Amino acid sequence: MTATNDLDNLVQPHRVHRSIYVDSDVFAAEMSKVFGGTWVYLAHESQVPDPNDFITTRLGLRPLIITRDDDGDLHALFNRCAHRASTVCQSECGSARRFQCSYHGWTYSNRGDLVNLPFADGYPADFHLEDHGLAQVPRLGLYRGLIFGTLNLDAPSLAEWLGPAGPLIDEFVDRSPSGRIEVRNCQRMIYRGNWKLAWDNAADGLHPTFAHRSFVLLNERQHGGARSLSQFKSSPDDTGMYGSDLGNGHMFVDQRPGLNQSFWQTQRPVPGREWYAEQIEQSFGDEAADILEVAPGSMVNLSIFPNLLIKGNHLETVDPVSVGETRLHTWVAAAAGAPDEVNVLRMRIAEDFPSLGNPDDLELFERCQEGLSIAEVEWVDMSKGLDHEVAEVTAGGVAKAPVTHEGPMRGYLRAWLELMSSEARLTTARNGEVSREVAA
Amino acid sequence: MDPQAASPVDDRLYQRLVDLLASGEAERGPGDPALRPAAEQALHHEARLLDDRRYRDWLQRFTDDCVYWVPLDPTGDPRGQVSYLLDDRRRMDDRIGLLETGWAHAQEPPSRTCRTVSNVEAWPLDGGDTLARCTTVVWEYRKDRLIPFASRNDFVLADLGEHWSVRFKIVRLVDSRGDVRKFSFVL
Repeated sequence: MTATNDLDNLVQPHRVHRSIYVDSDVFAAEMSKVFGGTWVYLAHESQVPDPNDFITTRLGLRPLIITRDDDGDLHALFNRCAHRASTVCQSECGSARRFQCSYHGWTYSNRGDLVNLPFADGYPADFHLEDHGLAQVPRLGLYRGLIFGTLNLDAPSLAEWLGPAGPLIDEFVDRSPSGRIEVRNCQRMIYRGNWKLAWDNAADGLHPTFAHRSFVLLNERQHGGARSLSQFKSSPDDTGMYGSDLGNGHMFVDQRPGLNQSFWQTQRPVPGREWYAEQIEQSFGDEAADILEVAPGSMVNLSIFPNLLIKGNHLETVDPVSVGETRLHTWVAAAAGAPDEVNVLRMRIAEDFPSLGNPDDLELFERCQEGLSIAEVEWVDMSKGLDHEVAEVTAGGVAKAPVTHEGPMRGYLRAWLELMSSEARLTTARNGEVSREVAA
Repeated sequence: MDPQAASPVDDRLYQRLVDLLASGEAERGPGDPALRPAAEQALHHEARLLDDRRYRDWLQRFTDDCVYWVPLDPTGDPRGQVSYLLDDRRRMDDRIGLLETGWAHAQEPPSRTCRTVSNVEAWPLDGGDTLARCTTVVWEYRKDRLIPFASRNDFVLADLGEHWSVRFKIVRLVDSRGDVRKFSFVL
């Protein structure tokens, strides 16, 4: 029996089987049922701000071009010539009205229509240009500038899929004075491990005390106590920090109750801290403290299943490469409408934990993948907090559990199991057939 | 000097970094043959300090207003973009301090490295500094893997000879726009 026929036994309430991390049949099924069968984050609107802008990305393993046409509509075109399958766009991003395939010259508009067929004689009588446009993602959804897509026409609406995660996205975005974020550039890292190891980690309040011990100790020694991550130094569950399973695989960790000072006071000193803070203080006087609060990260970890980790000031995408290899693209968000000085600080802050702390996470993901190679030792334990009664549910429907509990992990794996067990019918569209929904 | 002193990074310092990599720089003619031996000596010594993991000795060779920068996009302005890292002396001190805690898992076991520094050119700058450029390959060996990090490096040297010192070190990785393997040592 193959692993994909036995999914219910692989994900049990208190443990999961190693094969979901190492079995290439499971990975192949994930690339259609998860990365295709439900809403997947594709890009942010601010990356294609103007008509004819485009950016390339991937939906699971499928290369995509996200375009904005000259009417301002968004498209998610498969980067695949309708003729012989060559990719038609080689740039990371840019501006283009047309995409011409270099192989035989088929040329498409940025809506995906086939607009030029060279040497058009000789095609059969029933060959119509409109049947040979670029295939595209049939459903697109927009939430506060975040662009999602799915190949599943039967998936719930985006708003329904996001559920209580929606208002938490609002909170993240509304830290910007204008209520908009502007996505800048990204750090790209690759690790030798399954993509779900990043998910196991994303709402894991148990690991910082140990995995980030170097970071916690460094801050204590060199910057005296209550700095970034010091709330995890010992007994994190005594701080009020909590984790939540938001349903549909989404997860949330709120570190804010663990702080006893402002974000800015807690922030480790980064290059330019003093000079830029002084500029803000000179320009804004009494308001300076509030303005500086926008520079550090959000102190929450909001994970939108299956591929978006919102943390710090980042939109980090989890991009599977193979069953044992994953890319993490860490896009930094600037606060639109904030003084430039705040965003300069944001850039330096965005390098801080990612370069000092994340290498230890990636190292541990790789150690997990190595341990998972042992076929005879089959199970991964995720039982912490299983018998815990949920003490408090917020007005938004967010159930709070102690931050070191593993409920959010169990939650995302339940959503994973549901998707993996479904028989979603995946489809593509041509221009004109795409449905677009704006969830907020 | 107190390694944890206030950051010297301000708008002017950023502008100096941007100017250093401005497009006109590419049209710079051949380097000054008289400066090259001393610049090369400094660069070779710097590489050796790092290969020997003598990070404290390495940091001492940097000026108080130094910057160690690994950009993602060397043509961009670091005020508007994130880099792999852009450190002043304080954050360089932190980076070394992190390794010294003994709990930096990504350096357990530590990387062994071997740097090849070549194509060294040097030019005099206004104010007595020296601009030195080179190409570098850092070979990192750790846990049965040998990974090359290839880069074009730019140094602004504040002093040469026995007391050589570095004001700016910029590491332009050739694959900075691609998927980089995590690095937890100093490039």
